Amino acid sequence: MRNRSITLVVVAVAFAAVASVVLPPASAQAPARTAAFTPPRTADGQPDLQGVWRAWNLAQYDLEDHGAKPGVPAGRGFVVDPPDGKIPYQPWALEKRKKNYEGTHAADPYVNTDPLAKCYLPGIPRLTYLGWPFQIIQTPDDVNFAYEWGHKKRIVPVTDAFGPRPDPEDGLNARWYGMPRGRYEGNSLVVDLTNFNGYTWFDKAGNFHSDALHVVERYTLVGPDALQYEATMEDAKVFTRPWTIRMVLQRQKDVGLLDYECTNMLDALGIHHTWPRDFDVQ
Amino acid sequence: MRTQKGFLISMAAVLAALVVTSVPAAAQGRGGRGGRGGGAPAPVVTPGPIPRTADGKPDLRGTFSGMGEGLTHTVILEDHTSGFGIRGGKSLIIDPANGVIPYQPWALTERDRRREDVNAYEDPVGHCEFYDIGRLHSFAQRFMYSGGNIVIAAQEQIMRVVDMNRKQHLPDSIRLWLGDPIGRWEGDTLVVDTTNFNGKPRMALGGDFYSANAHVVERYTMKDSETITWTMTVDDPTVYTRPWTFTSAAPMTRQRPGSNDWNRALRLIDPAWEHDCHEGNIVLRHMRNVYEQTHGVYGQHPGEPTIKSTGPGPATRPQ
Repeated sequence: MRNRSITLVVVAVAFAAVASVVLPPASAQAPARTAAFTPPRTADGQPDLQGVWRAWNLAQYDLEDHGAKPGVPAGRGFVVDPPDGKIPYQPWALEKRKKNYEGTHAADPYVNTDPLAKCYLPGIPRLTYLGWPFQIIQTPDDVNFAYEWGHKKRIVPVTDAFGPRPDPEDGLNARWYGMPRGRYEGNSLVVDLTNFNGYTWFDKAGNFHSDALHVVERYTLVGPDALQYEATMEDAKVFTRPWTIRMVLQRQKDVGLLDYECTNMLDALGIHHTWPRDFDVQ
Repeated sequence: MRTQKGFLISMAAVLAALVVTSVPAAAQGRGGRGGRGGGAPAPVVTPGPIPRTADGKPDLRGTFSGMGEGLTHTVILEDHTSGFGIRGGKSLIIDPANGVIPYQPWALTERDRRREDVNAYEDPVGHCEFYDIGRLHSFAQRFMYSGGNIVIAAQEQIMRVVDMNRKQHLPDSIRLWLGDPIGRWEGDTLVVDTTNFNGKPRMALGGDFYSANAHVVERYTMKDSETITWTMTVDDPTVYTRPWTFTSAAPMTRQRPGSNDWNRALRLIDPAWEHDCHEGNIVLRHMRNVYEQTHGVYGQHPGEPTIKSTGPGPATRPQ
């Protein structure tokens, strides 16, 4: 007999905890801003993006315009291209998105379709606007992203020290975050990502991709405490054309990164995260 | 030592569980920093003077490891013999002089309980959660300077941000796996003062621990361009009879291709290392089976709510 109250709490732990503290979005579909602000520079002359950043918006729930759902405020979307604000799914993929979302109502993390219910790596770009803060640390060689959620991190090289990426068609080269290569363009840090696996989503609405995903992220300081985040997604297996999201992240000043250990919270509730590798056989 | 062989085998299983991280599938380009360095000769480096930042403080930036000649003390911090892939080693404890952690009687009993091989499943590291601060020092760490603070990148995705500007620790109600580290310079020594622990991490696979009440002081002293010495003093009246101090298996030395801990140092700079760990962690399930069969507590652990796991095993998995 399933203990429903407990499993509902699990869902909250896994991915709905911020619902009660999220501020209303100031402007969901922020217009692109790039030229108005001159960012400070690091010692080696790159735009200084360092600090703790957080998305105080509704992107974690749904990247598209949406009405209210249980535990989810209605809000504008973040897709700025195509202009209609809709993710350009192929017809079959639109059906799968719908099934994905329906599966998120399951209280049991084992059958819940959202990979985050099992505390799996959220993937990129989802980790950026999941609602937990992250910190950017720049060195002349790379940009380090430290995320409070699950103490995840990633390293983006901005030199060519690591050469070209291995063949993305080879499954051994697939990554939950993709393989990054970074560069600076003017005031922006641009991160090109390939070599994804197909197991991560974009949000809680079931928006998804395949292992053919190619992401280009663009981080641009548009004010002393405002970091514009753009990501363009391309995936010929799932979408009919590339699409782009845009939002502004805010600098967190009151405290640095704390911790949020997703698996430990499942453990403490008696939900042992020792299930088989379902993502291998789905 | 009782059950040592079985214990070490379980510990090896924990280590195996941690090896499920993605490895770079393709060899990196020759000449790049990404070379695995496995076949490279050990670099011969003549230590230079302490590098310094503009304000005259030691410049710790770089990747260092205090691992020594091999993984020696991830299991037991005190004197121990070798067995099943674990090297023997002398005690890392420099105070008290007898090299033994000054546990209170109840805490020693608890440490020994944790050390039992059937209880290895409890170790948070096997669950892909945090190492304790001291345990990080078995492996390579990377020092970065950012926004006036010192960031220490360590194994298993851990990033410690040592606040160099704050004087006061966080409010008591905020409790963290690795605590709240505040740093200051004393001459050429970086002193890191940490409180606000949550009491969950373990100091070694062998069950050593401190409580949420611990006060940890680390001292990183740069000796020359290649060497940092590190000590950690743990004061915790809940667990010990007196404060005690230990160090890493060897002085922390700067890592280069061919250095003793270069493969782990690479994980701190090479983007091909993703550190997925919990995803597909099958070994943990086997450890849990052993744990639950031994204790007769299926889906229930000491101190946890009395509920049955809803995560079905293979038998109930929908086909």
